[in-house]
Amino acid sequence: MKRLILTLILTVSTLTQAAVPVAKIQSMLAKPPVMCGRFDQSKQLAGMKKPLASSGRFCVVAGKGVLWRTLRPFPSTLRLTRDEIVNYQGDRVAMRLDAKTEPTVRMINSVLFSLLGGDLAQLDTLFDIDGSVDATSWNVTLKARSPALAKAIGGIKLDGGAYVKNIVISEAGGDRTSIVFSGIESGEAAMSAEEAALF
Amino acid sequence: MKTSRYLALMWALVVCLLLGHNAYLWLVQRIVPDTDIMALLPVQERDPILQQSFTHMVDAAQQRVIVLVGAKEWGDAQRAADAYSAVLAAHKDIIDATPIDEQTQTDWLSLFQQHRLTLLTAQQDAQLRAQPGQFWVRSALAKLYSPFGGPKLGTWQDDPFGLFGGWVQERALETPVRPRDGHLFVTDGQRQYALLSFVLKVPALSMTAQETVLPLLAQAGAAAHTAAPQSELVQAGVILHAAAASSQASGEVSTIGIGSLLGIVLLMWFSFHTLKPIFLILLSIGIGCLGALSVCWILFGHVHLMTLVFGASLIGVAQDYGIYFLYNRLATDAATDSSTLLKRLMPGLILTLLTTVIGYMGLALTPFPGLRQMAVFSGLGLVFAWLTVACWFPLMIGGSALKSGALVRRYGALLQRWPLLRVNKMTLLVTALFAIAACAGIARLGANDDIRLLQNPPKNLIADQIKLSKLLDAPTPVQYFLVRGDSAEMVLQREEDLKLRLDPLVAAHRLSGYQAMSNWVPSARTQVSRRALIDEKLLNEGGPLSELAAQIGADAQWIAATRDGLRAAGTPLLMDDFLKTQASEPWRHLWLGRIDGSYASIVALRGMESAAVPEVMQAGAGLQGVQWVDKVDEISSVLGRYRQYMGWVVLGAYVLVYALLFPRYRRRTWRVLAPAAVASIATLALLGFAAQKLQLFHVLALMLLLGVGVDYGIFMQEHPDRRNHTPWLAIGMSAANTILSFGLLALSRTPALQAFGLTMLVGTALAWLLVPCFVSSSESTHD
Repeated sequence: MKRLILTLILTVSTLTQAAVPVAKIQSMLAKPPVMCGRFDQSKQLAGMKKPLASSGRFCVVAGKGVLWRTLRPFPSTLRLTRDEIVNYQGDRVAMRLDAKTEPTVRMINSVLFSLLGGDLAQLDTLFDIDGSVDATSWNVTLKARSPALAKAIGGIKLDGGAYVKNIVISEAGGDRTSIVFSGIESGEAAMSAEEAALF
Repeated sequence: MKTSRYLALMWALVVCLLLGHNAYLWLVQRIVPDTDIMALLPVQERDPILQQSFTHMVDAAQQRVIVLVGAKEWGDAQRAADAYSAVLAAHKDIIDATPIDEQTQTDWLSLFQQHRLTLLTAQQDAQLRAQPGQFWVRSALAKLYSPFGGPKLGTWQDDPFGLFGGWVQERALETPVRPRDGHLFVTDGQRQYALLSFVLKVPALSMTAQETVLPLLAQAGAAAHTAAPQSELVQAGVILHAAAASSQASGEVSTIGIGSLLGIVLLMWFSFHTLKPIFLILLSIGIGCLGALSVCWILFGHVHLMTLVFGASLIGVAQDYGIYFLYNRLATDAATDSSTLLKRLMPGLILTLLTTVIGYMGLALTPFPGLRQMAVFSGLGLVFAWLTVACWFPLMIGGSALKSGALVRRYGALLQRWPLLRVNKMTLLVTALFAIAACAGIARLGANDDIRLLQNPPKNLIADQIKLSKLLDAPTPVQYFLVRGDSAEMVLQREEDLKLRLDPLVAAHRLSGYQAMSNWVPSARTQVSRRALIDEKLLNEGGPLSELAAQIGADAQWIAATRDGLRAAGTPLLMDDFLKTQASEPWRHLWLGRIDGSYASIVALRGMESAAVPEVMQAGAGLQGVQWVDKVDEISSVLGRYRQYMGWVVLGAYVLVYALLFPRYRRRTWRVLAPAAVASIATLALLGFAAQKLQLFHVLALMLLLGVGVDYGIFMQEHPDRRNHTPWLAIGMSAANTILSFGLLALSRTPALQAFGLTMLVGTALAWLLVPCFVSSSESTHD
């Protein structure tokens, strides 16, 4: 059970801050109430030559949660809120985790929210944070504090400025996922009507 | 004279042995009375497997103490929980925390991972049969591309279709408890709770455990409260109930015992104006109690606390013999020596002992070990008290040692003015009225055989227990299915058949779920069929796996490697392997394993409302090897059967006592029995009017009332002359004391003892008042 949750968090964990520069990074981050943008993900599976590319849009809404819309190579939407995590493929609900039956949903949601939003304070209990900061940018490396977590997730690297720009997740099994964020807008207008309807 | 001295010496020797044995028991062996309520119930001899299944369910919980520390904020709950644990951490030899081990966290999945191709949820099984290949390709791709696409264990290639992840997620739903920040966490939506689990290193039911552990828990609770003042504690454990029961019972033992003694002492003082009779009566009672305890310990090897509570009321009966002798000594002129007096009183004394002991032996006929012990304890106590009177009193009390007080004279004078039943119109009228009232009252009596009569835990303990089982969604330990078969495989297959019947009830929210070993280790039949299903639907040539490879641009080599990787995890998981892992620890009590050549297991039910019980019970009907077990219901039905059975025993005892008395009293025998019989009927009628429910313990009291009432009848019929106050005085004294002792038993908070006490209180009072009415002075007296 524990492993499951940890892995869930892991899969989710992307961003964090260094023990030393945490306050500095916090002050650099914009942390708008609504923020949307484009992501490009490249996944390199162990044993395969070609990386798998996907892209789409994401939104982070303070107090509500996270929307992660993969558009290519095929549409798939993930919505994380306080009460549930739902995966839509088209209109079909492919997966649903309810906070009532799976209390960790709330935890995963808050971790993911803090990762994408750059609010790193909560991750300190799970990860050792190391990194550096200069005038306009920062980068950090996260190492899982518990051996169990480390076994599942080799490590996470993030960098950015006012927003998170890159996340690289290295899994213990040899798979590697890197995500690049771009075109980030903030404010109510950042969200399309279609996206707003999903919340 | 010589014989009496010889007897007194012999008895002194016996008493010395008793004293020595008691000193050894209390001071050297430091015995502790049993407090386990279950020890009072009949041993389930018919079905050892059924019995064992129950002990399995109960023992799993006995040594545990579960504590939930809750607060609005998780941080507060954690702080309070840490403070709580810190206090107990210093006493690991008494109570030890169950560690949340990192190692077990990582390892527990690995066994299942090695067999993941045979583990599917029922839903996945149905989807594999119903959904097209394209469905599986899409869901595999979604998992691959989405960075947060749901539960994921190991690498994507290990479980591309997410089947194993889904199975593990379903297993995780068997408990709402989750690890969080190094604690176990559970929530009801309002508050966040940290779950602490402790194992007692001392037996939960021992007095030492209760004396040492409870203060520690209180101290830990205070520390938690200091750390987070808003925090809430929910505690549960057998030890808390045991401690509450024994503190209640020992409180009652001292109230009833001291109250009864005080009553006796005061009455004696007013009657005799000297302390010597008090000393003598106390001596006979004391020897009675010590003797009863010694012999009980030798016979049973233990003494239950309820026996001692019940035994405390023995004081009220054990005094009768001494009192009878003392009043006769008082009434007899000083020239008659005490040994001669005793000889004269002997027939009456022997009859009173015999009839009362017969009354107690009626209790010994029940199959309840606790009642048997109480009966033996009380019967022995009376015999020892009686022997003390017979062997010692004549030598200790001289001819003119006693003077009577004013109270005695005034009370004695009452007798001559007491109404006497004669054959006339008035008597007929009274009899008819009484018959009508009695019938009306008895007709109102309902029956109650609830097990809660035996135990009455404090409300806060029950509230905590309910809250805890709700929060943890824990199964009830007293209602479950017992599944049996000739082999482990057969048991697992039968569990699966049962689960198919339960699933619709879970879907309809009549149950929140069930715990079964086959959830973790499906039968070999199911594992083989699921593996074949995955082979056929997902791994086939040109099937979803090949299609998936094409979509992500993987080559034939990747397909082969992935397929081989999955197939390597396709050997069936065995029960023995699972039982060896740490992961099986929370479920091991469900597996009874091999007993007497057959196998058995428990399917436990979570979140079952009592209204759903008949439906759930019905779900298992007709399935071979599946049996519904309802311990509460079973105990209630046993209590009910013995309530009826004991009713007949009481009637039988009246016949037996009549037969015993007949050679001495002939046509007057009915007069001896009438006060007890009429008092019993009147008591039942009064209970009916008071809207009481008749229970086993009322009937048991009627049995004892027979013994006590017949004592009075015998005393009275031995001296039928109304001018002789002696028997009337003895009856008054002993009835007043019996009422004092049993009356206090009616104050007990245990409903069973209360019912017993109330019946004795009313019955004894009535028997006392009725006794003079049935005296016949017109008939000839025997010598």
